[in-house]
Amino acid sequence: MAHAVISCLHANLAAFEAVLDDIDQQGITTITCLGDLVGYGPQPNEVVELVQQRAIPTCQGCWDEDIIDGLNACECSYPSQLAERRGHQAHHWTADRLTDNNKAFLATLPITLRRDKLLFVHGSPNSQHEYLLPDMNAFAALERVETAGAETLFCGHTHQPYVRELSGGSIRVSVQQHGNGPATEQEMTLPMRRIVNAGSVGEPRHGTTKATYVVHDDNTGNVSIREVDYDVAKTCRAIVEAGLPDVFAWRLSHGFEYAERAEDASHVCER
Amino acid sequence: MQQTWLITGPPGCGKTNWIRETLLNHGGACAYLRLDGATHEELGLGHNAGIDQGWLMDQIPQLEDWSGSAPSSSVPSDDRFVLIEAQQFSSSTQSGDGLDPQIKQQLQRFNLTPDRTLHFGIDPDLPKQDTLDFTELEAWHLALQGCVWDPNSLSSFWFELVNGAYGDVYRAKALMNMPDGRSFFCNWMVSQSGSQFLPLQAVAPPTGRPNRLSHLVIQGKGLIPTGIESTILDCLLSDDVLELQQAPLRDQQPNLQPTL
Repeated sequence: MAHAVISCLHANLAAFEAVLDDIDQQGITTITCLGDLVGYGPQPNEVVELVQQRAIPTCQGCWDEDIIDGLNACECSYPSQLAERRGHQAHHWTADRLTDNNKAFLATLPITLRRDKLLFVHGSPNSQHEYLLPDMNAFAALERVETAGAETLFCGHTHQPYVRELSGGSIRVSVQQHGNGPATEQEMTLPMRRIVNAGSVGEPRHGTTKATYVVHDDNTGNVSIREVDYDVAKTCRAIVEAGLPDVFAWRLSHGFEYAERAEDASHVCER
Repeated sequence: MQQTWLITGPPGCGKTNWIRETLLNHGGACAYLRLDGATHEELGLGHNAGIDQGWLMDQIPQLEDWSGSAPSSSVPSDDRFVLIEAQQFSSSTQSGDGLDPQIKQQLQRFNLTPDRTLHFGIDPDLPKQDTLDFTELEAWHLALQGCVWDPNSLSSFWFELVNGAYGDVYRAKALMNMPDGRSFFCNWMVSQSGSQFLPLQAVAPPTGRPNRLSHLVIQGKGLIPTGIESTILDCLLSDDVLELQQAPLRDQQPNLQPTL
């Protein structure tokens, strides 16, 4: 059965609606969302309500968490003072406008979702704030998947869609028994694991302005990365009309992230 | 015998870079004068904030700066190579000798008669740059004296600036202070690929806000000064943050004291 995985909607209603249309046209009825429903974009309430209306199973993203818990991440979250100021501006704008009901909904979202051997997270199984980049050290990447007990890990957060196959992995264990006996070694070969990053619906960062998501087939294991055109100008107009910084509209219309990723993307914020 | 050359051309054609290379190759006594240039109704001249002078004086220690004052030097004039820079958009308003009357007047004020005049985009002896033929140009500038940038924020701001986030910028140049005491000559032109970020040789001690020239000059169309200023405010370091960044640097130079 084919199912769709979407992530990082970032309050971009036009992009979300276009992706839902694309999913519907394929006859896909199972959708999983990896969080970041809000943040930077101009329609946080509309996006959260559409997720609820469509009853899309959703895990909590870092922006969703911050709106509920407040900005208590350490300053490492942003690569520059400018990015931090803009991030905080977007946070306060969103927190001021999001209804109590929608905040309550974000608070109920789980950190992970699991379906058989498929695990769905926003950043990584460790944290909504951790980036699993496509060029991450293979051992570390395999560790994230294996220790979570998953065969395929679906994540978002980076806004760059990718499929990474981790094959040929093995674990060697050396056990020293009590006493002076020799250590015994055991080696176990691991089956192939995969990390699938769904990209971003509302804030693409892969060279174009197209919204991205992935379709996975449970039976064949095939994964296809989908790119969907949407009315970028409409969202840009909404950003300006909402009183968010004009530069957010400019960045979105050029396929740039609102705020660049932190320099050390592997750093996990310690709250 | 003293040689006096006049270099003219439109914004961003490479006048200052060419002058720097020429004077570095010359190696001897030299002087530099930047004229106000030729103004036209629809073409805003970039504010002469002293950025070019500041950059050249830093790069060429023996350079005499004649800008804004009458030439005076103890160096015998026979040994001096004088380069005069002036912004001149096109040849349409030139008289028979190729010079705009406004520039002629400015030369007369300094009592200077160039031995040679070279115009970018016309004279074959100058490097062939993509000199643009401007028909409409706005100019905007901002004094940043005492301001210190968060380096990564400057990088983001400059990227947005030269890629059109604040209007169609054709030309941008600046001298910008970093918290570690360095200053960078930032230079961009729409017709050339990439920006120059060139460190000045003179480094200020990490003891607070440097007291030296810092300025941003922009030329283009449909400029959005409020957006530029708003972003710049988010990029500049407060006293507290500056002190936080400079204190470890001072620990490596124990004789320095903070001035904030």
